[in-house]
Amino acid sequence: MESTVTSKGDLVLAISGLQKRFGGAIALSNANLTIRAGEIHALLGENGAGKSTMLKILAGVHTPDGGTLNLEGKPFITGSTQTSIDQGIAVIYQEPSLFLDLTLAENVFIGRQPMKGAKIDWNFAQEESARLFKQLGVELDPKRIARGLSIADQQVVEIAKALSMDAKVILMDEPTAALSSSEVDRLMTVMRSLRDSNKAVIFVSHRLDEVFAISDFITVMRDGATVSEAKVGATDLQKVIKDMVGRELTELFPKTENKIGEVVLEVNDVTNPAYFRNISFKVRKGEIVALAGLVGSGRSEVARAIFGIDDYETGTVTVKGKLMAKNNPVTAMNQGMALVPEDRRQQGLFMVASVNKNISMESFGNLMKGLFIDFGKERALSETWKQKLSIKYDNQRDPVERLSGGNQQKTVLAKWLATDPDILIVDEPTRGIDVGTKAEVHRLLNQAASEGKAILMISSELPEVLGMADRIIVMREGRQVAEFSRSEATQEKVIAAATSSAKVGAN
Amino acid sequence: MHKLALSFKNRELSLLVILVFTIGLTSLINPRFITGSGTRDLFSSTAVVALLAIGIAPIVIMRHIDLSISSTVGFSAWIVAAQCAAHPNYKVWQAFIIGPAVGLCVGIVNGLLVAGLRLPSLVVTLGTLYIVRGLDYVVSNSVDYNSQDLPKSLMKLGETTYFGLVPFPFVLVIIFMILASLYMKFRKAGRDRYAIGSNPPAAELVGIKVFRRTFLSFVFSGTTAGLAGVLYLMRFAQVDATAFYGQELAVVAAVVIGGISINGGIGTAQGAVIGALLVQTIQGGLSALGVDAFWKQAINGALLIVALFSDRVLARRSERALLAQRIKERA
Repeated sequence: MESTVTSKGDLVLAISGLQKRFGGAIALSNANLTIRAGEIHALLGENGAGKSTMLKILAGVHTPDGGTLNLEGKPFITGSTQTSIDQGIAVIYQEPSLFLDLTLAENVFIGRQPMKGAKIDWNFAQEESARLFKQLGVELDPKRIARGLSIADQQVVEIAKALSMDAKVILMDEPTAALSSSEVDRLMTVMRSLRDSNKAVIFVSHRLDEVFAISDFITVMRDGATVSEAKVGATDLQKVIKDMVGRELTELFPKTENKIGEVVLEVNDVTNPAYFRNISFKVRKGEIVALAGLVGSGRSEVARAIFGIDDYETGTVTVKGKLMAKNNPVTAMNQGMALVPEDRRQQGLFMVASVNKNISMESFGNLMKGLFIDFGKERALSETWKQKLSIKYDNQRDPVERLSGGNQQKTVLAKWLATDPDILIVDEPTRGIDVGTKAEVHRLLNQAASEGKAILMISSELPEVLGMADRIIVMREGRQVAEFSRSEATQEKVIAAATSSAKVGAN
Repeated sequence: MHKLALSFKNRELSLLVILVFTIGLTSLINPRFITGSGTRDLFSSTAVVALLAIGIAPIVIMRHIDLSISSTVGFSAWIVAAQCAAHPNYKVWQAFIIGPAVGLCVGIVNGLLVAGLRLPSLVVTLGTLYIVRGLDYVVSNSVDYNSQDLPKSLMKLGETTYFGLVPFPFVLVIIFMILASLYMKFRKAGRDRYAIGSNPPAAELVGIKVFRRTFLSFVFSGTTAGLAGVLYLMRFAQVDATAFYGQELAVVAAVVIGGISINGGIGTAQGAVIGALLVQTIQGGLSALGVDAFWKQAINGALLIVALFSDRVLARRSERALLAQRIKERA
């Protein structure tokens, strides 16, 4: 890292008037960004504001149509990922792009393997990787393969890669989206140490509390253009949200008091030793129960077991007084259960099918006319839900993969709401979607609850948990460790329960 | 963690154990199998498939496939035979130029279509499989060649044996195996291929030259198939337009049985050769048992499925081990 002659505060990257269009769609109309060395720079904006396009131009994936880019005073050459790497740009994508079959050392040095004569010097690669992991505070074994690493550890490998190539600019696209709060803390420590070694760090996130906690500078984009650039001290949350959305956002969690009725879902002492033990709770009509805890604490696994996707060894799940068969999602659905999975791209949607087809997917039973699907009914059903959820798209035949993340999430929700479930299980309902859509998803969940649906929500975002839930159940390492009512829950209490209680007791 | 890394490396070792075990079993049925001449037979009958397996190994590791190889073997063998028959004063080395040159051409076509136009390799090479075989029929015009037309020196070289055990064609296989193995393990270009197979979109993002690696892998595969055509001639001393027809799946079976993952990212050239030997030994064992040739085909197919299945089981097992390890690390 001694090779960089830049010192803190030096201008590293200056982008102005950047333009990019894809066919008829304008992704960037006038984007500006100024990054200095030794700075953590947050890049904010709703989905579709053009952040990703700008990052991809810097990464060399896209070539811009106009505008100027300067890196340390020299024109920045775009259009090839290798050239970007050579110019000192490292990108950590939202979905880590490691090679799961290769060792960690190899992942760190891929494309730049150290040579000793004609051979790759594996010893050096391993020692150097071990040193970098240690420097980052996470001692991973460089000889193990990447498959099976947690997302947080995969990011550590990506950051080690960026360090090993002595990158000047490190771009992180929503690095915290999939992390638990303790992992986020660890990442922030790493980011600060990067800043202290005079790297320029660009950080995209939808979690505004984190943004204010760690960044030095905030650039906000909207509709392909930069709308504001400000030091963190010179702006505030309200202003940033206003810049992002283009309007005042009144309330993020429009919690309504619903009438809470009888027990609809009862989980009794359910255990699957590999993931969770002795889980017991009830969800009532009109109630939103949150499953809080760290990523990997077994929350999603509990949801999958309840819905019948995965098996459990002992315990029972009762729906409206009826004992549920294990391992049978079809019965679960027939009993009025719906599960909106965490990973919408892989598990929630048929990415190449249209919005209409996706929405009606689970409701075919009600759409039949004799032996065939009544396409008129199908269209009517889909239209209703598209309007209710205000799903935005260009063309109704477009595959869902062309929609923005927020609209994809709304489509998954629509699909399951269309089945009119009594019990709705949502796993990380707002992960990776922007503030505006987030508020809409929250409104929808509240509305569903007010209609008498029982909702079980898994979320790693504490404000969401505290703002939405009537009751909060906290899991840690596969065990149910605490339960709070809406009135007694605080951020501190939930964090304390979700992380090691001993550690919290000590401070 | 080390254990996992070990079990991965041991894939080839455990295959070797299975191979020795199978040879032992076959020798029980047919004691001649384990004698010097039996081993020599095994090596010379495996050489063609083993060389082809080495040739397509990098392609399969890159999550592609090359089905055109068997047609290339047939075509190359026919062209070499025709050239040798037309020019009786040809030296042996000239056969070793002509054959691979024929394969090189097929490889370039495959490579351009797959790497350049980004067409799926399964369909492209299925197409070239038929095109090359078709060419073979047209060019050969029902003419076939046998040992009288072929240079004696070529046949003699095919029978030359080293250490009383290893025939010349298999020596070539061993040389190719060692070179391919070192290349795949210790050269950047080799490691790139594992990366491409492991995560194709990410390979583009880290700046790996995906076009070049893919293109050259098909060129390599084609060229080895051309060379395999010469080995085919050495072994069978006769060729017509149907030579080596339909054998591509035997090669794919060898590769998969040899522990190269059809999902890419995993495997070695050694594995491919051991896989080829294993397939051949099982075939030999079945012949010794007097199993009908049609059944042998069916058993070949079943073997392929078993290999895929065990690949799956292995992958799941290692996934579970990794998961259990994570749970333990957290506790």
